[in-house]
Amino acid sequence: MTPTQDALAPGANGGIQAGRYYGRGLPYLPLDDYPGRIIAIEGSDGVGRSTQIRLLRQWLEVKGYGVVETGWTRSPLMQPTIDLAKSSNTLNKLTFVLLYATDFADRLEKEIIPALKAGFIVLSDRYIFTALARAGVRGVDRPWLRNLYGFAIAPHLVFYLKIDVESLISRVLQARGMDFWESGMDLKLGDDIYDNFRAYQSRLLREYTSMADEFHFRVLDARRPIDRIQEDLRQQVDTFLTQSDVSTPAPEPART
Amino acid sequence: MFVTEWNSSALVKAATKAGKKKNALTPMTFSLLHATDFADRLLYKIIPPLKAGMIVVADRYAYTAFARDAVRGVDRQWVRDLYGFAVRPDLALYFRVPIDVSLDRLLARRVKLKFYEAGMDMGWSASPAESFRLFQSRVLEEYDHLVDEYGLTVVEAAGSITEQQKIVRRHVSALLEDAR
Repeated sequence: MTPTQDALAPGANGGIQAGRYYGRGLPYLPLDDYPGRIIAIEGSDGVGRSTQIRLLRQWLEVKGYGVVETGWTRSPLMQPTIDLAKSSNTLNKLTFVLLYATDFADRLEKEIIPALKAGFIVLSDRYIFTALARAGVRGVDRPWLRNLYGFAIAPHLVFYLKIDVESLISRVLQARGMDFWESGMDLKLGDDIYDNFRAYQSRLLREYTSMADEFHFRVLDARRPIDRIQEDLRQQVDTFLTQSDVSTPAPEPART
Repeated sequence: MFVTEWNSSALVKAATKAGKKKNALTPMTFSLLHATDFADRLLYKIIPPLKAGMIVVADRYAYTAFARDAVRGVDRQWVRDLYGFAVRPDLALYFRVPIDVSLDRLLARRVKLKFYEAGMDMGWSASPAESFRLFQSRVLEEYDHLVDEYGLTVVEAAGSITEQQKIVRRHVSALLEDAR
């Protein structure tokens, strides 16, 4: 059942207009014009994504935008199964990829698309690029992966919080230590968790870098102080929202 | 010989069950969950016995997904590419049965048609029997395309079990003779 090259043409790739399906999409859910916007924040484990998203959300809400957050493996349908599979170590690379894709599909249809249609700004803590990177380092066929995620919507903005492996190691050690999956222990590169973490995260960083051009990442240096990164984020988001004319709720009537 | 059944992997069971119970599955998550189940069984239950030289009998295969998911509105080519990791069977038997016969058989041995089996998620009819008829008729049409596309071997399944079994044994014998 090897797919032909032809059949793989319309998958997730950067030659797609922001806000549209990457590939064949969901034929039963056509995307007409919708007022919302989707902003994805990508980056390694422990790079500071959640902090940046929290701050960005506060700022957007103060400006009057409706904001919805979505995050990796947070779908009610799949979270228990993914947690179970991770704890019992029964995942192989294919089921790993497919469980994540199911989780994403569930959130896409039940959270992301309804929010976009209702005019919200969707802040996505990780997006399909996390899946592409993790599966990529595990040797899953890249054209197959891109085709799989052909049902995803190309975000309007993708920010990539970039860090080098040395800085990442010291951050993760200070914060909470290294865990099994973040260290790619399933790849069985060796028994030493530190060596594994370094090797695995370095490979992941290479995957992200290789996707940066393809998917139009806006790269932010994540080694800087939190408020500097946030300043950068806000400025770029502000410019984008102004240019794309996303409406905020009607302003309060002026007091006389 | 080893037998493997559709939708039987322990890994995905919990999610599929929860989703079906709450009727919470969309066509896409339904499709992906079944592919996950298939991938799990392929790697743990199908490929090892094949490597050991055994005959694997699969009760349903990827074709079930091709037919059902397409009727639910998932892109046909996307589903085919999704299963690009599957091993192509040496023999694929398709037991073809008219819609009335399959409805009668199901109703005879069970009180209630299952929600997804009857395609109730499509909202085409509030009556399970009518919904089943509409949904499964479309599924049968998809199978008819698959017969040509993938060279499925058709067994007319309206006849007696003995009759069908004779035909099945003939096809399997021919395959095993060839393999020798």
